[in-house]
Amino acid sequence: MVPELGHFAIILALSFALMQFLAPIGGYYKKENLYFQLSYIAVIGQFSFLWFAMLCLITCFMNNDMSVSYVQEHSHQLLPLLYRIGAAWGGHEGSLLLWCLILSTWTLAFLAFRRFVPPAPLSLQRGVITVLGFISAGFILFLFATSDPFRRVFPTAPINGDDLTPILQDPGLIFHPPMLYMGYVGFAIGFAFAICALISGKLDREWARAARPWVVMPWGFLSCGIVLGSWWAYRELGWGGWWFWDPVENASLLPWLSATAFIHALMVSEKRNTFKGWTLLLAIVTFALSLLGTFLVRSGILVSVHTFASDPTRGLFLLSYLALIIGGAFTLYSFRIKHFYQAPTFALFSRETFLLINSVVLLSAVVTILIGTLYPIILDSLNLEKISVGEPYFNTVFLPMMLPLLLLMGFAPHVSWGEQSIAKLWQKLRLNLILSLLLGLSLPKLLGFHFHWLACIGISCALWIVLATGQYVYQLKKSHQLVGLQHWSMIVAHLGIAVMALGITVTKSYSEERQVRMNLNETVTVANYQFTLKQLNETQGENFKSITATFLVQKAHQSPLALLAEQRIYTSHEQSLSKPGILANLYRDLYLALGSSLPDGGWSVRIYYKPFVRWIWAGGFMLLLGGFLSLLSSIRLRGKK
Amino acid sequence: MKIRFLLPLIFFILIGLLLWRGLSLHPNEIPSPLIGKASPTFSLPTLLGTKATITEKDLKGHVTLLNVWATWCYACALEHEYLMELASHKDFKLFGFNYKDDNIAARHWLKEHGNPYEIIAVDVTGTTAIDWGVYGTPETFLIDKNSIIRYKQIGPITQEVWEKTLRPLVEKLENEA
Amino acid sequence: MKKAFLTLFFLLIPLQLVFAVEDEYHFNTEAARQQFEGLTTELRCLVCQNQNLAESNAALAVDLRTQIYQKVLSGQSSPEIVDYLVKRYGDFILYRPPFKLQTLGLWLGPFVCLIFGLFYLIFYIKNQRRR
Repeated sequence: MVPELGHFAIILALSFALMQFLAPIGGYYKKENLYFQLSYIAVIGQFSFLWFAMLCLITCFMNNDMSVSYVQEHSHQLLPLLYRIGAAWGGHEGSLLLWCLILSTWTLAFLAFRRFVPPAPLSLQRGVITVLGFISAGFILFLFATSDPFRRVFPTAPINGDDLTPILQDPGLIFHPPMLYMGYVGFAIGFAFAICALISGKLDREWARAARPWVVMPWGFLSCGIVLGSWWAYRELGWGGWWFWDPVENASLLPWLSATAFIHALMVSEKRNTFKGWTLLLAIVTFALSLLGTFLVRSGILVSVHTFASDPTRGLFLLSYLALIIGGAFTLYSFRIKHFYQAPTFALFSRETFLLINSVVLLSAVVTILIGTLYPIILDSLNLEKISVGEPYFNTVFLPMMLPLLLLMGFAPHVSWGEQSIAKLWQKLRLNLILSLLLGLSLPKLLGFHFHWLACIGISCALWIVLATGQYVYQLKKSHQLVGLQHWSMIVAHLGIAVMALGITVTKSYSEERQVRMNLNETVTVANYQFTLKQLNETQGENFKSITATFLVQKAHQSPLALLAEQRIYTSHEQSLSKPGILANLYRDLYLALGSSLPDGGWSVRIYYKPFVRWIWAGGFMLLLGGFLSLLSSIRLRGKK
Repeated sequence: MKIRFLLPLIFFILIGLLLWRGLSLHPNEIPSPLIGKASPTFSLPTLLGTKATITEKDLKGHVTLLNVWATWCYACALEHEYLMELASHKDFKLFGFNYKDDNIAARHWLKEHGNPYEIIAVDVTGTTAIDWGVYGTPETFLIDKNSIIRYKQIGPITQEVWEKTLRPLVEKLENEA
Repeated sequence: MKKAFLTLFFLLIPLQLVFAVEDEYHFNTEAARQQFEGLTTELRCLVCQNQNLAESNAALAVDLRTQIYQKVLSGQSSPEIVDYLVKRYGDFILYRPPFKLQTLGLWLGPFVCLIFGLFYLIFYIKNQRRR
C-alpha cells in the first residue's frame, strides 16, 4: 500500500510541476493574476507530495518491504535502521527523488523567504518560478519514466535484500548527499534568474541584490558537501587519502569553481552595475556543470567508485534534457546578450580587472578538470587509444593554477573600484608580502620540520591572505567604517580558503606512512609516535563480525592513548571492510588501518601520520559560514529599507 | 551577431556530441597493446594429458583461441557452456589458460562440466599472465598461424560475440597463409 | 642534502634494530623505497579501476606490486619498469598520461586557455577604454 501511495504522490507532484510551469504562461497570455496564484499553489503542492513520496520510500525501507525492487536492491534484514533510512537515497532512484525534492524545497524557500531578503520584482519572481517549474517537471518525468523507486517485483518477492554496499554504511551517507544536492540543485535558482534577465533584457542592481542569497547559499552548501564527502572518503576508504580526483569528485568541483566565479561577478553587478553579460554566462555555466555532474554520475559514461548502476536509456534521457535546457539557454544567450553589452569604464589596474582575472583563472581551472575528465572519452571516441588521467596529472596541472588565485585573494580587497595606483598598493602591502614570504620559508624549520617547497608556498600564501585580510579589517576600523556583515562573509570565506590551502599543502608535504607486518606486542614507530599492538578481539556488530585491534600510541614523555582499528566482515555478502582507527587533534591525525591477516598470525598494518589534515575540512565549514553571513547581510539589507 | 557570443553554444554542442558518443563506449575494456605482435615467450606446465609443458612454439601452424579461465571466476562458468558447444568446431584449436587456480579444483571442475580444451596451460602464480596482459577473466586471445596475436576478447564468449566478431575473424585467419 | 640524509639514516639504524618490525615491502635504501612508492601510486589498478596499484587489494594488483618490488630491488630504473608494464597493458595503466601527439591537448590545453584568457582580457580592457 505504501509504495502505491508513494508512486501516486510522484504522479501528483509531476502534475503540480507542470502546473507550476504552465500556469504562469497562461497568466502572461491572459494577463490574469489567478494563474500566477495557481503556480504558487503548485509549488506548495509539489513540495508536499515529493516529501510525502520520500517519506513513503523511507517507510518502505523501515519496514524492509522487499517487494519494492529498489528496497530489495539496497536493503537487508540485518541493516541497521539508521542506514536503512539513509539507503533511501543510497541508490540511483532514491537519490534522484532526493534531487527533485531538494529542487522543490529551494523553490518553496524562494517563495517563502521573499519577505526577508531583498525582493525580486514581481515579474521576475513569477519568471523564476516558471523556469524552476520547467526544470522540475523534466526531472520528475525522468524519475517517473526511467527510475521509479516504487517499482514492485511480483510475484516472486525475494526473502532478503542485496544489502547496501558496506562503504555506504556510515553516518556520512545521512549528511553528505543531501548537503551536496542542496548545493548542486540550488544553482537552478541562479540559472532561472539569468533566463529571466535574458528574456526581459533587464539586469540591474535590484536583480543582482535579489539573486545573491540564492547563489551564495547553494555555494556554501556545496562547499560543505564537498568537504563532507572528502571526510567520508578519508574515514571509509582506509588509505588516508582525502581527495582522489575521481571523475565524480571532479563533477562536484566543477560547479563549485564556476559558482565561485559567479558570486564574484554578481558582486560587481550589484556594486558597479557592470559585468552583466559575464554574470549571465557564469549563471548558465554553473547550472550546466551541475547537470553535467548529474549526467556523469548516472550515465555510466565514466569509470568511478561512485557511479550508480548504469543504464543507457537514462543517459540518453538526461543528455536530451541537458541539451534542451542548457542548449536552449545558450541559444537565448547568444541572441540576447548584445542588449547587456557595456564598454568597460574601469582602468586596467582596478578591482574590476582583478575580479575578471579571478573569473579567468577559475574558468581555466574548470576547463582543466573538464579536459582531464573527458579526454579519455575524446581519445576513445576517435578510436585512438585508452588512457587514464588521474591524480598525478591534476597535481601537476591544476594545483599551479590555484597559486595566482591565492595571491590575488590577498590583494583584491585593497584594490579600489575604477582605478588603483600600483605604487600605492605596493606601498600598502609590501610589508605583508615580505613578512608572509619570510615566515613561510622559516616556519617549518622553526617548528622542526624539514624544508619542503610545497609547504613553504602553502604557508606563505595562507599567511599572506590572513595578513592582507587582517590589514583590510584594521584599516576599515581605523577609518571608523563599519565592518558590515557582507564584509565579514567575504573575510570568513577568504580565511576559509587560506586554512584549506594550509591544510592541503602541509599534509601533502609532511605526511608519513608505513606498511608493516605486526604481531601482538610488537611496536612500530612513525613520526615519533610508537604504535604497539596490544590486543585483538573478535566482536559482533549488528550486521557484521569484526576483529578489533587495540593499539597503544605513545609519544615520548606523554601518556599513552588507545587506538582501535577494525577489520569488518559484513554478513550478507562476506564483504570485508577495513575501518581505520583515527586519533585526531587540531595539528595532526594518527591514522591506522588494519589490512589482511597473515598466515603466521600477524597482521598487515598501515599507519599514517597526517599533519594539519583537519584544516582542509575546517576550511570547508568556514565557507559555509561565509555563505550564512552573506545571507544574514541580505536579510539585514531588507530590514534597512 | 558576433561570433564570440556564439562560442558558449558551440562549445556546449561539442561537449554534448562527445557525451552522446561516449554513451556507446565501454570504458572498462582495455585494448591490448599485444595485438599485431608475436605471442610472448612462455613455458608452462599443463593440467591434463601426456604433454608435460607447453610453450609459444605450440601455437605455431594453426589458428588458436587461447581462453583464460579459472574456477573462481563466475563469468567463466557462464562462458564454459558455450565453449563446450564451440569445441566441436574444427577450424581452430581451443587452448585453455588456467589462471591463478588450484590444480585439483580445476581438474574436478573439468570433470564435472566437461573439457572443451585441447591442452591447458597452468599459471598458478599469474606471472606469465602478466606477460600476456591479462587483467581479468575470462579473456580470450585469437592467435594466427604465425603465432601473432590478432584479437583479444574481454569478457565471456557468447553466441553473439562468436557470430559477430570471432567467427568471421577465425575464418579470415584460416584462409591466410 | 644527500649527505645529511645518509647521516640521518645511519643515526636511525639503532632505532630500527630495536623495533624490528618487518615492513611489508622492505628496501635497503630510502631512494628505492621512494621509487617503489612513486611507481605504485602513479599506476592504475586494472581490476578495480579507481584505485592505484598501491591501494588496490585485487589479486592482479598484488602480483604487479610484487613484480615492481622485485624490479626495484634488482635496480631497474622507473622508466624501464613503466615501459615493461606499458608493453603489456598499454598507456591505460598510467595515471600520468605520457606527453605525446595525442595528449597534447590534455597537457597544454589548460595553460593555453589560461594564458589566452588573460591576454584577451587585458587586450579587451585596453582597447575598449581607448574608444
